[in-house]
Order: sequence, then C-alpha cells, then structure tokens
Amino acid sequence: MRDKTHSEQIVRWARFIKTNDISVWKKAVKDLTDSQIIMANRFYSNLIKTEKGKLKAERLLKRKL
Amino acid sequence: MNRKVSDLSILEKFVKDFASVVEKHCKYIIVSGFVAISHGRTRGTEDIDMIIERLDEPKFSNLHNDLLKKGFVCVQADDAKTIYEYLADNLSVRYIKKGTFIPEMELKFSKDSLDEYQIKTRKKYPLSGLDIYFSTIEVNIAFKEELLKSEKDMEDAKHLREVYSDEIDENEINKIKKEIKRLRLK
Repeated sequence: MRDKTHSEQIVRWARFIKTNDISVWKKAVKDLTDSQIIMANRFYSNLIKTEKGKLKAERLLKRKL
Repeated sequence: MNRKVSDLSILEKFVKDFASVVEKHCKYIIVSGFVAISHGRTRGTEDIDMIIERLDEPKFSNLHNDLLKKGFVCVQADDAKTIYEYLADNLSVRYIKKGTFIPEMELKFSKDSLDEYQIKTRKKYPLSGLDIYFSTIEVNIAFKEELLKSEKDMEDAKHLREVYSDEIDENEINKIKKEIKRLRLK
C-alpha cells in the first residue's frame, strides 16, 4: 500500500488539471505517455532480434508474434 | 475540443483513429483507464477498453474489414469469423496498429443491460480535448470503486472525483453501483 503522500499527489495533480488550461497539462501527459509507448515498442523490436527473444516477447505480450 | 492532430499523444491518436472507423458501423464507448488518462491522470497503460453494440456477423465483418483498411490488425486472428466467435462468447479481442506492439484496443460486445445503459448515456467530455465518446464519469467511478477496486482503479476514481468535483451526480454513481452488485457481483 502506498503512503498518504501518494494520495495527496493525486489530488494535487487533479486540482492542477482543473485550474489550468488544457494545453498546459495535455503537453505534460502527452510527453509521458508517448515516451512510454516509444520505449516499449523499441524494447520489443530489440527483444525479438535476440536469441529466444521472440518467445520471451510472446510470453510478455501473451500473444503469437 | 478541436485540437490539432499533432497535439495528440500516440495513445490519443490511436484511440481517435480506431473510434472514427467504429463509429461508422455502430455505437461505442471508451471505458476505464483511458477515461482517467485522457483527463490528465499521469500513468501508463498498454490497452484501451472499448465496448460496442452487439452486431451480427456480417456487420462485424464489415467493421473488421474497415479496420484492416486503416492499418489495424487483430491479435487473436485474421479472419472476421473467428474474431466474431470470441466476441459472441463475450470475450474481448485486441487490435493493434500493424507493425507495433502497443497500444492495444481491447474490444468487446455489450453483454448486459448495464453495458447497454453505458452506451445509451455515453458522452463526449470537452475537458479531455478528444472528440470521442466515453461512458460517463459517474459510470467509470462506480465501476472502479465497486467492481475493479485495484489500487490503480481507486486512484483513477479519486482523480476523476477531484477533476469533476463540482459536477458529479452521487445518486447516479450509487444507482450504477447497485446495478453492478445485481448484475456483476451476484
């Protein structure tokens, strides 16, 4: 279980969204979500090139590649 | 609501592109995690959940073929008949953009009166900056607090409650929670 500072952060950030223009907070969220997707796709592309990498990727993604 | 395409995150563009195909064939809703994320919740996700009206096989086949034309592929199978069998059994199927690994669209048919209600009451939320349909904020809070209940889900609900603190209809949340108990927790 996370401590109360984590819960407080959720409220603090939600209030930031409520009180700031969409262009401000969307940029922050975009950078975060984009980087996660770019990193994950790069990781899986590299993984499948390694020995047994395809099998590992299939296990991680729970699908046939 | 009219943000330029270049302003959209990869996740948002993926959802928008997928939804624009689906909308030509049936009503849909985006539910759960992406609702919170599109309202500024800063967490990652690998999949987006979409519920669509129940379709017969020929209609679904048309939808599937349109998705293929737009560069989406289904993870479970290539042919519409097999994919339809999953959906008809109330199982979800997953679509990705060809050549990528994530994100995935987790697609399922409406399975009961609660899903039908969610589709009937679907809304666009200008604060998300996205021109797509969501199940209502009240529905999402109710599902996260009453059914899903993981730490992540409870935090999503907390976030949505704070963002929409002046507008949330508590009676509606309680009504949906009762329906969840009746239909999903029996």
